[in-house]
Amino acid sequence: MSAKFERAEIWRNRFLILPSMLLLATFVIYPACFAVYTSLTNESLTGPAALNPRFVGLDNYTKLFTDGNFWRSLAITFWFVLFSAIIGQLVLGLASAMLLRRRFALRPLVNAVILMPNAVPEVVAAMMWASMLASGEYGTLNNIVAWFGVEPQRWLTSFPLTMIIVVNIWRGIGFAMILMTSGLSSISEELYEAARMDGANPRQVFRRITLPLLVPTLFLYLLVSTVSTIAIFGLVFALTRGGPAGATELIGIYIYNQSFNAYQLGYGSAVAVVVLTFSLFIGMLYVRALKVDV
Amino acid sequence: MAQVRETTTAAVTRYGLLLLISIYCIMPFLWLLVAALDPNAGLFLKIPDSVSFNSFFRVFFEEDGMLWLTNSLIVCGGATVLVLVLAGFGGYALSRTRAWWKRPFLYGIILIRVIPPTALIVPLYKIMLTCNQAIAGVVRPIAGPEYYRQVMRIFGFIDGYFGLILLLATMQLPLALWIMKTFFDTVSREYEEAAIMDGATFNQRLRRVLVPLAMPGLAAAGLFAFIAAWGDFLFPLTFISSPELRMLPIGIYSAFLRANQIDYGLLAAIAVIYTAPAIIAFALARRFLVQTFGGGLKG
Repeated sequence: MSAKFERAEIWRNRFLILPSMLLLATFVIYPACFAVYTSLTNESLTGPAALNPRFVGLDNYTKLFTDGNFWRSLAITFWFVLFSAIIGQLVLGLASAMLLRRRFALRPLVNAVILMPNAVPEVVAAMMWASMLASGEYGTLNNIVAWFGVEPQRWLTSFPLTMIIVVNIWRGIGFAMILMTSGLSSISEELYEAARMDGANPRQVFRRITLPLLVPTLFLYLLVSTVSTIAIFGLVFALTRGGPAGATELIGIYIYNQSFNAYQLGYGSAVAVVVLTFSLFIGMLYVRALKVDV
Repeated sequence: MAQVRETTTAAVTRYGLLLLISIYCIMPFLWLLVAALDPNAGLFLKIPDSVSFNSFFRVFFEEDGMLWLTNSLIVCGGATVLVLVLAGFGGYALSRTRAWWKRPFLYGIILIRVIPPTALIVPLYKIMLTCNQAIAGVVRPIAGPEYYRQVMRIFGFIDGYFGLILLLATMQLPLALWIMKTFFDTVSREYEEAAIMDGATFNQRLRRVLVPLAMPGLAAAGLFAFIAAWGDFLFPLTFISSPELRMLPIGIYSAFLRANQIDYGLLAAIAVIYTAPAIIAFALARRFLVQTFGGGLKG
């Protein structure tokens, strides 16, 4: 094709991608850089600093290091990610995927049931769990544990972190199951056949064949679920708003509360920058692990 | 493959475990469905004395539910359409170009996907505020004081449809661009080249060749964009404050907060109506889910 035509193509491609680039630059790249700048000022929504924010250097970051609430929020986020995404969703998702490998009549139904929680909007999920975990002897969970002779509990007050972990595991089993199913389906049936011939028991098959060959899928799952679990806001906010007394204040909720309830924009931004850096770090690992071919 | 026969113990363990997991997954839904049909619903799960669809009718005729639904449909519909247009063209360009910016842009997209929206919320608020003032400066002299509020409700960035649509669309763009780019990679250039040989202009190629070919990709990109925008809680919470613009998630959330005067039946009915499109879209998008894992992260 002619050189003129090719030049026209090049310009057209630039023109077609431009609106997307502009939007991403305005609403993602610029705010990310702006957060770094704001974190170096004492900007706030109230008080004298609201009118003319001052450049305070790394003050917000030094404050961060000595702020017990920040460390508590970080710890809560860590346990939340560890127990809900890395352990709970993964174990139950992998178990479901393996148990559902065998075909039986109700398999599509079970599959749909396990995926349902993933499809529900966050607010509705929070509402349903508010009813599940309601205190008093009529709460659904209290009714269930009563069969085992357990006294009625105030679930969200007595075990707040455990409960949001239970809620988040519930929400994520389906996603883990889908990925594990696709990982499992790439393992050749012949390997299992051969292992069975050699008289391997199911546990050995799992340890020596399934697990090693699943490692790439597991690794990608861990990266993806870590960043997406750190980003969780609505599900927990709608259920507890970070309470009681900050016991479920995940890092995202902490940023929100610091910025819009305590009005400390500068300080909130410093927390945001920490989260941003960590997420981007995992994102880099992800890009490398995928070896994306573009 | 022929299935190996299972021992009884293995079968009991398998179905027992699956039953437990299923109960865990389905249990919370029970209350929502029962409460939506129970005229005297409360926060607790109970067998209703009578069943009626009254709550569902009331959502449409009496309460704010209809308003919330309309607002959600406008904003999420608008965002989805915008994503489709931008990602359709952008994905095409990304797939066909050999320019230097292609690789950095695609890596950039993946990195953007890992940024938690909460980390951007403060600077975003300030940017939206600035845009809002700029729009207000234009709208005020044109619309005059009596229509100023109405016009701002549509074009405003804070407490307005337009800003929220742009923002929600931008957040879904990276995944959609990725999906469309990978999709166009699989569409052979030959169709297009044949059209070029026949002397078709870009517009004709677009209408006759590219859009029909791109339909499956657009379906996947549109479904994921809609699901994410429909379920989003943080942005409507932060950028919408007037009751007239309230969307479903915030309407439900704030109604649920008024602890002692909640009409649980009505609220459950609204929640069911809110959940239905999400579940339908998810069911349709399910088969694309694994493919997006490659580059777009959790859909």
